[in-house]
Amino acid sequence: MGAVWVYAEVTPEGPHPAALELLTKARRIGEDVAAVALGPGAGAAADELGRYGAATVYASEDPVFADHPGRPAAHVLASLTADHAPSLILFAGTYGSRDVAGRLQARTGSTLMANATDVLAPDRARTEIFGGTKIVDVTLAGPEPRLVLVRPKATAAEPSGGTATVVAVAVDVPADARGARIVERHEEAASGPNLDEARVVISGGRGLGGPDAFAMLDELATTVGGAVGASRAAVDAGWVPYAYQIGQTGKTVKPDVYLAVGISGALQHITGMKGAKRIVAINKDADAPIMKIADVGVIGDLFSFIPALTQEVRRRAAS
Amino acid sequence: MNVTALVKYVPEPQGTPTLGHDNLLIRSGVDGALDPGDEYGLELALQLAEASGGQVHVVSMGPDEAMAAVQRALAMGAASGLLVTDPKLRGADALVTARVLAAAIARTPADLIVAGAESTDGYTGTVPVTVAEMLGIDSVTAVRRLEAVADGFRIERQTEAGYDVIACPSPAVVTVTAGATEPRYPSLKGIMAAKSKPVERVDAADLGVTDLAATQSVTQVTDSPAKAGGEIVQAGDEAVAKIADLLAEAGVI
Amino acid sequence: MSAALLAVVLAAAIAVFARRSHARVTLLREARPAPRTEDIIRRARRELVQVLGQRKLFRKAVPGLMHAFIFWGFLVLFPTIVEAMLAIVDEDRTLPIIGQAPWFLFTVDLFAALVVVGVTIAFVIRKVQRPDRFRGSHMQEADRILLTILAIVGSLLLWNASRIALGLSEHPQAQPLSNALSSLFAGGAATEVAERVLVWSHLLIVLAFLTYLPKSKHLHIITAAPNVFFAKNGPSGRLEPQRIDLEAAEEDMRFGVATAEDLSRKQLLDLFSCTECGRCQEVCPAWNTGKPLSPKLLIMDLRDHVVARAAAPSGEVQLQPPLVPNAVTDEVVWDCVTCGACMQECPVDIEHVDTIVDLRRNLVMAESRFPTEAGAMLRGIEGPSENPWGQPSDARTEWIGDLDVRVLQPGDKPPEYLFWVGCAGAFDDRAKKTTQSVARLLNAARVDWAVLGPRERCTGDPARRMGHEYLFQMLAEQNAETFDDAGIVKVVATCAHCFNTLSNEYPDYGAHLEVVHHTELLSHLIGEGRLSPAGAPIGSVTYHDACYLGRHNGRFDAPRDVLAAGGAVAVEMPRNREGSFCCGAGGARMWMEEGGDQRINDTRFAEAEATGAETLAVACPYCFVMLDDAAKGKGSDVRVADIATLLAEATLGEGVSPPRRVPGSTDPWTNLEDSFGRTADS
Repeated sequence: MGAVWVYAEVTPEGPHPAALELLTKARRIGEDVAAVALGPGAGAAADELGRYGAATVYASEDPVFADHPGRPAAHVLASLTADHAPSLILFAGTYGSRDVAGRLQARTGSTLMANATDVLAPDRARTEIFGGTKIVDVTLAGPEPRLVLVRPKATAAEPSGGTATVVAVAVDVPADARGARIVERHEEAASGPNLDEARVVISGGRGLGGPDAFAMLDELATTVGGAVGASRAAVDAGWVPYAYQIGQTGKTVKPDVYLAVGISGALQHITGMKGAKRIVAINKDADAPIMKIADVGVIGDLFSFIPALTQEVRRRAAS
Repeated sequence: MNVTALVKYVPEPQGTPTLGHDNLLIRSGVDGALDPGDEYGLELALQLAEASGGQVHVVSMGPDEAMAAVQRALAMGAASGLLVTDPKLRGADALVTARVLAAAIARTPADLIVAGAESTDGYTGTVPVTVAEMLGIDSVTAVRRLEAVADGFRIERQTEAGYDVIACPSPAVVTVTAGATEPRYPSLKGIMAAKSKPVERVDAADLGVTDLAATQSVTQVTDSPAKAGGEIVQAGDEAVAKIADLLAEAGVI
Repeated sequence: MSAALLAVVLAAAIAVFARRSHARVTLLREARPAPRTEDIIRRARRELVQVLGQRKLFRKAVPGLMHAFIFWGFLVLFPTIVEAMLAIVDEDRTLPIIGQAPWFLFTVDLFAALVVVGVTIAFVIRKVQRPDRFRGSHMQEADRILLTILAIVGSLLLWNASRIALGLSEHPQAQPLSNALSSLFAGGAATEVAERVLVWSHLLIVLAFLTYLPKSKHLHIITAAPNVFFAKNGPSGRLEPQRIDLEAAEEDMRFGVATAEDLSRKQLLDLFSCTECGRCQEVCPAWNTGKPLSPKLLIMDLRDHVVARAAAPSGEVQLQPPLVPNAVTDEVVWDCVTCGACMQECPVDIEHVDTIVDLRRNLVMAESRFPTEAGAMLRGIEGPSENPWGQPSDARTEWIGDLDVRVLQPGDKPPEYLFWVGCAGAFDDRAKKTTQSVARLLNAARVDWAVLGPRERCTGDPARRMGHEYLFQMLAEQNAETFDDAGIVKVVATCAHCFNTLSNEYPDYGAHLEVVHHTELLSHLIGEGRLSPAGAPIGSVTYHDACYLGRHNGRFDAPRDVLAAGGAVAVEMPRNREGSFCCGAGGARMWMEEGGDQRINDTRFAEAEATGAETLAVACPYCFVMLDDAAKGKGSDVRVADIATLLAEATLGEGVSPPRRVPGSTDPWTNLEDSFGRTADS
């Protein structure tokens, strides 16, 4: 049986936390675990990758991987794969890793499974469908290496205390295989992402009682890198502009997480957000219609809950 | 500029999906529609083609009913379509789908190929990139803005932190995020005109795709214990922790 | 000699009249015929009552009287024009038989006086009272017309006076006013000259007036009568279908009204009949809340555009500019809630709503140009879910819960009543309460009823009011098939829009159903003793008449009877019954964002609140949502509830539970919420 590899996203700040989770998982299903780290910071990251279970780290500091998304990494990963024949490669479910995994699949002609919630063996993985109500076990067949994209936080990262041998990777990405080039990078911490594209949306409704409470939601949004929206009631009351409105006659959003704060959940609002992957509702009223579609309904006072949540998120992000 | 748009026919996006006895999603014989997520890319394609005097060609793979998705795209303004439909393709995984789509796309030259960011029923999100590799061209995913420029495209790509500006040569494959455009509503004139637009129907053999072997199989499906419905918790420290966990799980913290 | 001159003058006047009418006559002749000739008796009766009897004009007492005087005066005095012509030829000639009859002479004098009174009242209204409904109307033109009318009767009276002075009248005592005026004339040669001058003046003024008519708004004196005759016979809630056949040749395709050429003959006649009285503008919910739509201005703008196009030199085939936005703006077309208050008031039966919907038909079907936010509703209806909110069809039975409800399966024996739940009644939380109340009541009354469950689909009303006639057609045909397959005859609906569409519009698509509104059925059941509201009485209530139940379909009493039977102490809002003020959701506006200074629903709710009633009763889920939103927005204590729920509480004692503590609160006297989810501070 071949090795289990983890494609680790790295930056000068260190490895992506998901990589550490994936290594933890990899250790449990395979004896021979390695990581592939491509881009500036790879060398420095190797120590930590080793501590979490990678016996070998195939590394390259070449800036080509940071400047050109996806294509060069897939190219190099393809040749590493051809040379070392791992059985399974685990990827984090991020934009960047998906690009690499997708391209790699074309080269290896092997199977790719996305949105895995657990990996049980080099040839078995698990996922959820139908809004998480059904668990599906999947057997991976066909040529190796099998490729699996794993959902973040599917496993808790645990160090094993090992050290990794760093193997420098020769990078020979031909000019025409570099692909698109990143020209500028923008962070939108201050203004927040666009409501349509935000992965987290925090919406306020009538329960906020006035425009001032939206500042509380803004703070939480900034902390999680999300966007603030509103129900029609809040917009009609003049607390926030129409651009914030989510619903039948406003925007339709499909974030990964939707927090409905002080929103009762009238039908016309629900139609604008029911596609969210996870819905959390915070409301005084346990019978509010929104509770019927919420994955988690928090009953209580939003004015104390939201600041508490903001604090907790800050605490976790810092640690 | 000629653009090819990939569209998928998905079962009623709001209905209760069902699995067949072979544990595959039942796609044919159920009411369905053009995947709303694909409409954003299709709209971008139409705008680009209109601005440059080019055309939009749509490509889709699915059961017979999927023709409805192609027709809708034509009604919105696409000029021609191609539907790959073949019983042997039922349950095709991402790799087979990519092979088929790559072969289908290759039949019609295009400067840009657009797709939705992820399908409403599959959520894989990798097929367009695999297609790009198979075609040997560039790709940018999670696109929220795209302009044609002298040597290709200037693209704004959504990232976790904000967005990147990317210079991408032509031809390329891009996936477009929800909300990047406001999809147009087809007029009746558009619907009528759609009927006389050329649409090709091919199967896997026509495209020369023969390796259709499934590489994943579902071994079992069980009910998830925790997710029978939503859960209600009282506000307090536990609730705070629970929501923070949920946010972490979503990869947000 | 006079005869020859008269003949020349007459011929000239008629020629000028014909030439000035030519453009409009041609427009009418070339317009799309849309004949309405069924039920002539009914049309004739309407003509008598509305035109002769001036009924709609009397909705405003004083202006009504003013107009009636002038109009009746006109009719009665018409023979005097002939008399004038006879007298021009030979001053001794009068009308045969009646010309010198005392009763005729008196009648002429009387009605001439009434016309003078009428014109005076008109000036007082226009110059002193200055009602707002005239904003935008051409006041100067109206002044000219009134003065001309005054000149016509004035010259008539003076001429009669001069004739009396010359001794040409056999019964001057029968002409009190003319007799009194005769003292202005000394008699003799001067008066003879005066008499000739006056008779010629009178005739010339009349003829000048005649030639002025074709290009003025006063043309209504010719067009109003036929316009009333050809008005819709049936309920105003029924829109005339326009069959869309996508297989037909493209040249034959027409989607509503795009240019002036698409207007039908009746629609053109509408435009030519408008007198700019503004009674429609006065009652329009959009205009009254600061939006640019005024039904009067819409008609005037369309008319001006049509007339201007007709006047343009013809030659090559002209490309007609689209009416929207060249005659009226998009905004104005979309502001309309289709409540029909304008048509209710219009004395000449102009059909504003039908024309607006026709304009929408073109905007939606041909140009796909409409408020984007309404697209979600259209996609929801046309997509697999077949309802405006895009909810899954199998969720249509969620409201049932533990209730004993029969869901009709294919092949089942049909029930006596099919309860058409509707999309709102199935998916909207507030409307679901109404559905549940009706279910309980029907069970208590042991009615043989059932629901279609997931086989229901939107009736298509929002699509049709938006102008998407094709989508409506598809839904209507599919629903008609469902009804047919299931053997349905009687239908009861809680939604006023479903009620209107199923009852008035579905017959055009092959579904002939006996449709009742739930308030009618409940009233009937109470009358039969099958429901006895013996529980806690409903208390103080004001009832909001739903436009699509009340004004459009004339159902005002059943809801009130049900409330009364339930022990309600009713207070009426100032604007009630057919004068009701729309909740703002009609015309598919439920699915659009609203502009203007105030919201229509807030305005109506304020009116309800001002009555002091504790409860605002509604009979339609749209009204329920709009008015309840308004109540919540204001933080009002007024309870908004459907009549069915109020009756259920009074009959079955259900729906109201004792206040319940909100979990987590420690103070037993605050944070109590009632079963409708409202706490004291929400």
